[in-house]
Amino acid sequence: MSLLDILMIAIRVAFSAFVPLCFIAVCVWMERRGAGFIQDRSGPNRANIFGFRAAGLVQNLADAAKLIFKEDIISAHIKHKFFFVLAPIIVFFTAVVSFGVVPFADTLVINGKSYIMQGIPIDIGILWFLALAGFSVYGIILAGWSSTNKYGILGGLRSAAQVISYEIPMGLAIVSLLIVYGTVNLNEIARFQGELLFGFIPMWGAILQPLALVIFVVAAFAETNRTPFDLAEGESEIVAGFHVEYSAMKFAVFFMGEYVALFVSSAMIVTLFFGGYQIPFLATKTLITIAKPLAFVLMIGLPVGMYYFAGWIRRSNISHYPRENDPRAFEAKWYIRCFWGLIVIVELLLLAILLCQSGGDTINIFVALLQVCTFLVKVTMMLFVYIWVRWTLPRFRYDQLQKLGWQMLLPLALLNIFITSAVVVALS
Amino acid sequence: MGAKVKTIARRGSTLQERIFLIEIFKGMATTFGHFWRNLLDNSKLYVRHYPEVKPEIPVRWRGRHRLTSHEDGSVKCVACFMCQTNCPAQCIQIQAGERLDGKAEKMPVSFNIDLLECIYCGYCVEACPLDAIRMDTGIYSVTGKDRESFNMGIDDLLAKQGAFTEEDYKKGGA
Amino acid sequence: MADKIKLFVNGEEVEVESGKNLVDAVSAVGIEIPHLCYHPALGADGNCRMCLVGLEEGGPPLVPACKTPAQEGMKVLLDAEHIRKIQHDVMEFELINHPIDCPVCDQAGECKLQDYYMGYDRKDSRMTVPQVTKSKKLDFGGGVVHDQERCIVCGRCVRFLRQITKTGELGIINRTDTARVNIFPGRPIDNRYGLNVVDLCPVGAMTSSDFRFKQRVWFLKKVPSVCHGCAKGCSITIDHNREKYQDDIIYRFRPRLNQQVNGYFMCNDGRLSYRRENEGRLTQFRLGKNERDMLDVITGCNKEIAHSRKTVVLVSPDLSLEQMVSVKALAEKLGATLSGFSDGYIKTGDGDDYLISDDKAANRKGLEILGIDSSRKSFEEAMADAELLINFNNDLSLSYDESGIRSLLGDTRTIACSTHDDELTGQAHFALAISSYSEYAGTVINCDNVLQHFTKAVTKNNELPDVCAIAAELGSPLQNAGQAYAELQRAIGALSEYQPADIPAEGLNLNDSEAANVTA
Repeated sequence: MSLLDILMIAIRVAFSAFVPLCFIAVCVWMERRGAGFIQDRSGPNRANIFGFRAAGLVQNLADAAKLIFKEDIISAHIKHKFFFVLAPIIVFFTAVVSFGVVPFADTLVINGKSYIMQGIPIDIGILWFLALAGFSVYGIILAGWSSTNKYGILGGLRSAAQVISYEIPMGLAIVSLLIVYGTVNLNEIARFQGELLFGFIPMWGAILQPLALVIFVVAAFAETNRTPFDLAEGESEIVAGFHVEYSAMKFAVFFMGEYVALFVSSAMIVTLFFGGYQIPFLATKTLITIAKPLAFVLMIGLPVGMYYFAGWIRRSNISHYPRENDPRAFEAKWYIRCFWGLIVIVELLLLAILLCQSGGDTINIFVALLQVCTFLVKVTMMLFVYIWVRWTLPRFRYDQLQKLGWQMLLPLALLNIFITSAVVVALS
Repeated sequence: MGAKVKTIARRGSTLQERIFLIEIFKGMATTFGHFWRNLLDNSKLYVRHYPEVKPEIPVRWRGRHRLTSHEDGSVKCVACFMCQTNCPAQCIQIQAGERLDGKAEKMPVSFNIDLLECIYCGYCVEACPLDAIRMDTGIYSVTGKDRESFNMGIDDLLAKQGAFTEEDYKKGGA
Repeated sequence: MADKIKLFVNGEEVEVESGKNLVDAVSAVGIEIPHLCYHPALGADGNCRMCLVGLEEGGPPLVPACKTPAQEGMKVLLDAEHIRKIQHDVMEFELINHPIDCPVCDQAGECKLQDYYMGYDRKDSRMTVPQVTKSKKLDFGGGVVHDQERCIVCGRCVRFLRQITKTGELGIINRTDTARVNIFPGRPIDNRYGLNVVDLCPVGAMTSSDFRFKQRVWFLKKVPSVCHGCAKGCSITIDHNREKYQDDIIYRFRPRLNQQVNGYFMCNDGRLSYRRENEGRLTQFRLGKNERDMLDVITGCNKEIAHSRKTVVLVSPDLSLEQMVSVKALAEKLGATLSGFSDGYIKTGDGDDYLISDDKAANRKGLEILGIDSSRKSFEEAMADAELLINFNNDLSLSYDESGIRSLLGDTRTIACSTHDDELTGQAHFALAISSYSEYAGTVINCDNVLQHFTKAVTKNNELPDVCAIAAELGSPLQNAGQAYAELQRAIGALSEYQPADIPAEGLNLNDSEAANVTA
């Protein structure tokens, strides 16, 4: 095993472990500012470090500091303290680990050796995700039960019943997908979607299996306990559900676990239905051949984009009331400088790529990086959809939730399997 | 005749509505419209830039209480206990004593308002026969580091002057 | 029972007692004739004219109800237009020079002028000339503060001091709108019933310097009780209140009408005896000088009792009958000598022939009825070789001086159950705090053999056990006051048909039946 091998393993493990964690901050920030803008208010924008508010991101730091230093209470009435502490760990751990199987770039070839770009190089792929997603509900049930609190236990039970109801349509939706793809390996699924249908439509799962997409997305919402399926928390009727008794970092771990699960399920949706890391119309091979022109286009496009972005920052980041020497304008000036600095670095890197020889490892790495970026952009967009839905839809009533799961999604998923199999059999 | 009853048609029975998805997308379009508008131009958010831009307090606003005083600075209150009697939150505690300055027979020796219990209903102001207690300080935000600091004594209540002119206060419908 | 007669009020026939004046007669059947100067105990004066009523036939058309005896077939007019105008005019007249300083007036809330204004007047003043000013806050002595401006010159106070106490300190001087009540120069109110004028005054002209500005009367909870100041046992109303975050405190005693005992009045000493309920109370349980848990002290006491070869139980003549029964049962159980020795409670020559008794013990008759020996001789004999003295609130410092107590106790161990922290509890080996009479319900018999029941008035934040509970803890077979009362019913035959709540407010006079019924 060469040093490069070890480095590549380290990189891919680090990526699949830390990216979800980093995205917690992004999710929380998007959730708050997104909710703010959707509701015509501004969201958190006051926490700052030396006057720099980073568009509200500093609020996350403040919250983290608060949660770390808060008193960690385990009430005296809680008998099973071990399970009580274990519950948030389960939720968080399963969420992080289930991202391991998601590929974030195509197989990278360096020095003629291939490196798989996913955290855990196993073939069971989608099954791993299903298993762990089902397992994370144990954490919630355990939390509800060990809290010895009526609201906690109700929240846990709701969550359990909900997960059982929605695992089935989700599994069935995946079955029809697998019939199309013919594999459970997510890397192969992603590669499959790089092809073009009739020569001009990307062969994305969303186009081949629109019904499965709807079912899967709905079920994924339910699995992550997000609105409109967040009955397990149900503030209005059961206070906070399974995590009523949790405080400080134990609560924070639940909270983070929830957002990691959100990220993972977005990544899953992207991988299964939206081509994973694939850039539309540009499969990996095509990319490698047109890498240099692409880099050139980027070199021109980035500064242009940045120019407009800088304008937007300047317009948005000011005080909307009379104020002398507006510190926000000063802030904006520095943000713009930082971004331009970043652009300069990226430009230099792109220049280096333009100057290097074609067909080499550098081009391969460049393509992999492009795919990683594509993947993350797609996931972020999916995360926004989650947030967007949350601030649009009200919560379901419990009977509505069960009715939707069993009477609509389940038959639809079964129907989808029949149609898909029929079509696949007819075509082959 | 009773009140006018407006009948609102119950929705959700047509096929389009029962499919949910179309209606959901309509809703999402609406929320995205708001999101996009505010993202491009955040100057029209319906927010008050609070600590920097203070709201204008109308004269009739029931702010923190104060005790009014005569021209010479002595307290107007005669400890009749009307406010304490009338207080639904029972946040007023008065102790009466002999008054020796000739303005009245009785005066409050101590006059405590527990702002943590006060519900700012203004009944004390209504009840006062001598206009001795008012809620016209314009203080809408009371903060403190401990519970004791919310217990206003007679000196705290006398220290603050009204935020409005006498004419405005009278006009304000007090 | 007086004869019944029939008369008509506003055309309706009512049956009233004969021999009374119209005000009293019809108020007994629930019809109120407004009156300011008339008071049943002081007789009719007829100066306020508030009680003018119409007579439909026979006699003059308008008569003062207080001076008119109720007669068969009378046709009294109350709600006629002209009567209402008279009432309204009288009220307007009374209010001409009244300062309307209700906010600072202690009478507000129980003021006749306020009541009648709301009932019969409700008009704005038509006065345009300045009011007549008079002296305010005059110290009349004896704890009475007078405000001449508020005074409506009804003369109740003057009549009280002339007719009841026969001291006559007050008089009305000057005429018309300068008429005022005053003392003679240099001769303040100086008698032991003087504070009754505060109750008598229908307005706020007479206020008590003791109660002045302490509380507004509408905050006070009013509970009927019995004064424990002396053997007379006057019926009283305990006015108490618990202010927010504070303890339940008694603010004043007021006499309660009881024709069998005290009529309308009570003495100053009894009125001010409420202070003793608030001050100097023993609130802790002590082992020697150390404050301990109640259970610890009781356990210690029980050990002490078990070890003692000769025990003397001393009982206070202030205790209720139930408590005496409990203590008696305890003494019998322990085989102890029970004594009610309390000669010190009797202050010879202090009493009078009206409401003050020589004997300052509230329930000495109870001791006698229950057959508890209270002679000095037997008590001192028993104490001579006693190892343990259990004292139930008997204040020995009244009977002995300091050295006397010391020589009496010698090295006798003492368990002192006391309401107040006094000398004996200070040196007792065990001190147990008990509730006082405003904090428990009980029954007492006064010097005239009238048995009265009183209820619990005050609930302290730190509630103390009463004597019955302590006696039960120390081994009495009677567990609580209820069981003690059942035992009491056996001892006093007259009680057999009464539950505590059924005992009439006026009390039971045992004089008729007592001798025959007491079996103890």
